[in-house]
Amino acid sequence: MRVLLAEDDAMIGASVRRGLSQDGFTVDWVEDGRAAELALAERVHDAVLLDLGLPRKSGLEVLSAMRRGGDTRPVLIMTARDAIADRVAGLDAGADDYVVKPFDLTELAARLRALWRRGVGRADPILAFGVIELDPASHETRVRGQPVSLSAREFALLQALLARPGAVLSRAQLEAKLYGWSDSVESNAVEVHIHALRKKLGADLIRNVRGVGWMVAKPDAPQATS
Amino acid sequence: MRSIRRELLVWLLLGIALAVAAAMVGTYWRARDEANALFDYQLKEMAASLTDAPFAAVPAGAGTIGAGSDAMVVQIWDRNGVQLFLSQPRRVLPQNAQLGFTTLSTESGPWRVFSALAAEQVVQIAQPMSARRELAASMALRTIIPLLAVLPFLAVLIWFTIARGLKPLDRVAAAVARRSPTLLEPLPETDLPREVQPLVGALNDLLSRLSHTLHAQRAFVADAAHELRTPLTAVHLQAQLAERATTDAERAAALGELKDGLERATRLVEQLLTLAREEPGVSEVPPASVDLAALAREVIADLAPLAGAKGIDLGLSSTAASMVKGGADPLRTLISNLVDNAIRYTPTGGRVDVVLADDAGSVVLTVRDSGPGIAVEDRERVFDRFYRGNGAGGIRGSGLGLAIVKQIAERHRADVELGTGIDGRGLGVTVRFTQPIPGSRCREELSSTQKIV
Repeated sequence: MRVLLAEDDAMIGASVRRGLSQDGFTVDWVEDGRAAELALAERVHDAVLLDLGLPRKSGLEVLSAMRRGGDTRPVLIMTARDAIADRVAGLDAGADDYVVKPFDLTELAARLRALWRRGVGRADPILAFGVIELDPASHETRVRGQPVSLSAREFALLQALLARPGAVLSRAQLEAKLYGWSDSVESNAVEVHIHALRKKLGADLIRNVRGVGWMVAKPDAPQATS
Repeated sequence: MRSIRRELLVWLLLGIALAVAAAMVGTYWRARDEANALFDYQLKEMAASLTDAPFAAVPAGAGTIGAGSDAMVVQIWDRNGVQLFLSQPRRVLPQNAQLGFTTLSTESGPWRVFSALAAEQVVQIAQPMSARRELAASMALRTIIPLLAVLPFLAVLIWFTIARGLKPLDRVAAAVARRSPTLLEPLPETDLPREVQPLVGALNDLLSRLSHTLHAQRAFVADAAHELRTPLTAVHLQAQLAERATTDAERAAALGELKDGLERATRLVEQLLTLAREEPGVSEVPPASVDLAALAREVIADLAPLAGAKGIDLGLSSTAASMVKGGADPLRTLISNLVDNAIRYTPTGGRVDVVLADDAGSVVLTVRDSGPGIAVEDRERVFDRFYRGNGAGGIRGSGLGLAIVKQIAERHRADVELGTGIDGRGLGVTVRFTQPIPGSRCREELSSTQKIV
């Protein structure tokens, strides 16, 4: 899950980025409102963590512009102002949730996961698909109840595919989910991760749609017969 | 306790009593003059009637006119000085040869005597002056008595009039008493007597100033609380990261960041305390003489390592007269904030100059740098608390440095001006102390420019 972090304080920004990365998020960090808008225009992020007191363009302005432009991605506001009026203003401008500074990193991660679940239309925190179970909170993967060890990138890739069974994700889309701006991506990285996943979870879980990308088939979809 | 009502009553009654006494004395004097004229005329008439009829012999006991102390005494002599008649034998009147009116002093007080010469006899009629005084006194007393009778009524009238006049004061007092410490709306100024209006006006003026100060204080506390949240959030997050660290290296790095975060929070708290301490009216500026050049040298020595780390050429150039009146600690903070800011915002390899000069008797401190400077439109706002420019070079301070400088300068009656720095670039902050101390000159030569770094 890739998150855009818009925070002007260097210490807070660095800490949040490090903390969320440890929780398996891919985090891109911008320090002012204009940079946030540029990053949002790329449409690669799954959620936005927005500080309200951004220089150059305030968080509320960024949020309003986003919603006016039809951008429905979940936005979580980080605010130092705990007056009810400020929180109401943020929510009314189109935010999905808020945390008041100082906040807890684990809580922030949990709220982001909840926003992501709602975004993909799920209520169950455990992502289940056939015999596979994915727990985004603990980063545990189980096949038929038996734990399977996945790397952070493999987990993120599987999560992206399982979030919308039946949808084909291109290499660019998958790369965008796995790597932030500061990560260097090797040309065949996605293939390497998919290969590893197939080895650990079974060859027929992830299907290759040639020239387009990869998908996991919907459970009720007719299985391709050989 | 002093009471306006009591004082007014006492002084007014005293005044009235004095006026009554003056009226009494005046009446007495006039009545005596009139009595004198009247009795003198009477004496003259009586003498005239006595001289008309020649005396041969006067039967004893006759001739007593009236009785008591105002009784007149008649004495008749012949040419040879032989007393022919004395109306009251017990009274001894001197034989007064002087004709006309005379006043004699005798053992029984002064007497008025009229002597007339008729035929072969001298007729002398005398009357004691006391008779006239008694008449005058009784006349004066009769005039005064009604006035004295009215006096108690006057006292009561004054008492109630004063009470009525002071009622608006009671109303104002009650209105002030009803006010809560946070409700600082002006008192109603309608329907007030002219004497109370200035008091209420002054009170309202004070209330409005208080309300303004209170409002500013509240805004400051709210801003301060908000600003404290940011470094505290950073510390909070850094502590969580340190907790999560799984390796020693990770933990060491996280703890290092936590320490930075704590230092930053501490610095902000210190700056807030400085602001609170330098708040106008909190404490008096000490009247000691402070050598700005010595303070500047201290500050530069303290900050030299910071400048050195960035390869910044930091130096002091001072001339004579750098003594100002004020507190050494706040003035050191002022210089330190300016130099620290200049070093922070000046890119590596730049230059920061601290200049002390004497301009027409004022000590002028200038800190110039070769940094990015401050846009003209931002120059007024940078003195506002917590105002930060739009990310000058990515450096984000607490937004308090220049606010503190301004506040300290104001307390020392110094003006702060922002201009351009070195070679028309960068920022130059000029602090002009308009209160030089005569006769105290710092012996420092123009050429004594110190260079550190």
